[in-house]
Amino acid sequence: MIEFQHVSKTYPNGVKGLKDVNLSIGQGEFVAIIGLSGAGKSTLIRTINRMIDITEGTLTVDGVDVMSLRGKALRRFRRKIGMIFQSFNLITRSTALKNVLTSQVPDMNFFRVLLGIFTKEQKLRALEALDKVGILDKAYTRCDQLSGGQQQRVALARTLNQNPTIILADEPVAALDPVTAHQVMSDFKRINEEMNISVLINIHHVDLALKYATRVIGIRAGEIVYDGPTANVTQEILDSIYNGASVPQAGE
Amino acid sequence: MENQKKSDRPMTIQEAYEARPRLWWLYTLVVLIVAALLGWSGSAVVFKGFATKGVEVAKGVWNGLTHPDTALLFNLTTDGVPYQLMQTVAIAVLGTLIGGILAIPFSFLASDKIVPGWVAFLFRAFILLIRTIPSLVWALVWIRVTGPNAFCGVVTQSICSIGMISKMYITAIEDVDTRILESLDASGCTAFQKIRYGLLPQIIPNFISTVIYRFDINVKDATTLGIVGAGGIGAALIQCINSSRWSMVGAYLCGMVVLMLLIEWFSTKIRKRLTRG
Amino acid sequence: MKKKASAEYRAPLFDRIFPPKTITLPNGHTVQQPRSRQPLIWICVVAAVWASVLLTGFDISILIKRGHQFTVILEQLFQPDWSFMPKVISPLFDTIKMSILGSVLGATLALPFAVVSSTNVNRSGVTVALCRFLLNLVRTLPTLVIAKFAALIFGLGTFAGTMAITVFTFGVVAKMLYEAIETIDMGAFEAMESAGGSKFQSFWSACMPQILPTYLSYCLYSLEMNIRAAAILGYVGAGGLGIIINERVGWRDYHGLGTLLLTLFIVVLVIENTSEYLRKKLS
Repeated sequence: MIEFQHVSKTYPNGVKGLKDVNLSIGQGEFVAIIGLSGAGKSTLIRTINRMIDITEGTLTVDGVDVMSLRGKALRRFRRKIGMIFQSFNLITRSTALKNVLTSQVPDMNFFRVLLGIFTKEQKLRALEALDKVGILDKAYTRCDQLSGGQQQRVALARTLNQNPTIILADEPVAALDPVTAHQVMSDFKRINEEMNISVLINIHHVDLALKYATRVIGIRAGEIVYDGPTANVTQEILDSIYNGASVPQAGE
Repeated sequence: MENQKKSDRPMTIQEAYEARPRLWWLYTLVVLIVAALLGWSGSAVVFKGFATKGVEVAKGVWNGLTHPDTALLFNLTTDGVPYQLMQTVAIAVLGTLIGGILAIPFSFLASDKIVPGWVAFLFRAFILLIRTIPSLVWALVWIRVTGPNAFCGVVTQSICSIGMISKMYITAIEDVDTRILESLDASGCTAFQKIRYGLLPQIIPNFISTVIYRFDINVKDATTLGIVGAGGIGAALIQCINSSRWSMVGAYLCGMVVLMLLIEWFSTKIRKRLTRG
Repeated sequence: MKKKASAEYRAPLFDRIFPPKTITLPNGHTVQQPRSRQPLIWICVVAAVWASVLLTGFDISILIKRGHQFTVILEQLFQPDWSFMPKVISPLFDTIKMSILGSVLGATLALPFAVVSSTNVNRSGVTVALCRFLLNLVRTLPTLVIAKFAALIFGLGTFAGTMAITVFTFGVVAKMLYEAIETIDMGAFEAMESAGGSKFQSFWSACMPQILPTYLSYCLYSLEMNIRAAAILGYVGAGGLGIIINERVGWRDYHGLGTLLLTLFIVVLVIENTSEYLRKKLS
């Protein structure tokens, strides 16, 4: 359960990232956040695990006031929230398995981190995560030898390995070709349905958003301009989200 | 390196775990070798406490650095810091320039793109020989020829610089993009025209950058050549250290530090502009 | 020159003194051709060389007149006195030991300082500036001067040499390393932080695998340099081969010096090739 109450974000240089956002997202929802570049999509997503601090209002995740967290409590809180990035953010020099294992590092003691020693259980769990996204056979391949779609799956496996209740994805398919983008999106969908993990995705491709998400949030200049089920999204709504600009259709 | 069995049946997790690459013996070997080397080296290097006057010297150095002799720092005679520093830089300027010019034939003769393999090998060995002999030894040998003066420093640095500069020239020559030469060939250029418009524009920025980088090193090196009497600030510095005149030591060191920082700042700036074109 | 957000473009000083030439094309368009800086550069270079010749007492005639002296010494150097060999072995080992230990200590010490000096990992500008200033200071001091101080403070011998090598390696490796750290991809670090890792955990797990090969190759590279640097430290009393170099030159025994230099050459050759092989494997 994620609750935004009158949340605003003003950057130090005076730019308003979010303006009076009110939202409530229940467990297990698949939400697509759409809007123009710079509209505040990334800001919205990153406030949830507090990679960005909010300046006004309250934001609670599972009953915890996010802004009250500090240091160790904040890090423990972040363990429950997985994050996927546009540029994958993998250690390209390491194998897929090692990348997945890094998400266990925050739970390990100092010397294990220092020497990079993982237990058999940890390794098996990581392999399981790789299996869930269907690239078990690439476990010992270095990430720089994987394709973009495979790399994004490794990133997804890394996130799954921390047993999240929420996954935040910031433009996860922007760097992928259309076919791979569909595969990765259906991975998200499957994980959302099978494991009851809430998924929040920032996305530029409206067609992908409408196909996979159950709920769409439209954001324009830091304000929520649409919030409702995917089925109710019409061309007028899309036009208003994109400032009246023409909306790119499928096949773009 | 996928040495897993390619069967039709997808791998189970247990199988994937068993298929992990086992490298523990390699890690153990590396750790053992490093530990052995360290143990061996540690045997010779034992801390035997401070020298009888050690603490006193440490205090003196600290005092000198915090209270340098300002009179000496701004003294404009030949004993003063400014003159000594200028002479040090002068040694490096000439040494680097001559070394940089002498290195050109050496590097072309040591590049197996241009001359037969065995010639290149011979010159490479020679360059390595020059590089291996420490500059201090070169200076000690040249002093017998030129006498103990700044000229000795110039000759020493001219020879020493050849080693490293040639090594870097060679890489520059081997990185040359030969496709440009082909296109010049296609437009009907002579060999000389090809060198002038295809080769030189590619290597000259690299060469200048190398020379400036070596200049940086040579200035630092020139500050110590004086220890054996080959000119520069080192001679005065070592005399002051030996006679425990710490405030003068402080003045010389302060001058050296400021000079080195300035030169390094300039050299990085110029080299950045060269590489960005 | 800082590029402030002012709308007005300010030409570099040079272009204001020598305004660019305007070329008008047949169709009426104009192009601004900046004046070449080459004449100015050449004037500076020639002036610097002329001043240097005066300051150093450069005199080519000395070389022509007394050049044969050098060939005499060179001839003796290339006829090494192999009976002198046993006396070389022990100081040679001292030199190698000093450089290995100094390299390891210096490189280990360099790691934390390099991390603190990297602007992409450490966001506090004050500590970055402080650390970099310290590193710059350490690097500007010549190794021989450090060795001289160490020999006076810790007494003559290998310990002083090891200290000097440590300080030298520390300065060089830390500088190269923070430059390398600043070029790495911080995406994995961000991902670790978003997954709840502390700064140390994130750095160690996400950035270390990227830096490690570079770091190790810098360590090996510094070991290569250190063997050569350590060979002369004995000249100021810091142990190793330098002591005998000083002694042989003093006695004008160039056959003995030749033996020593040839052994050093072989050792450097072996170590450089091993290290180059290892570095190629790392990259």
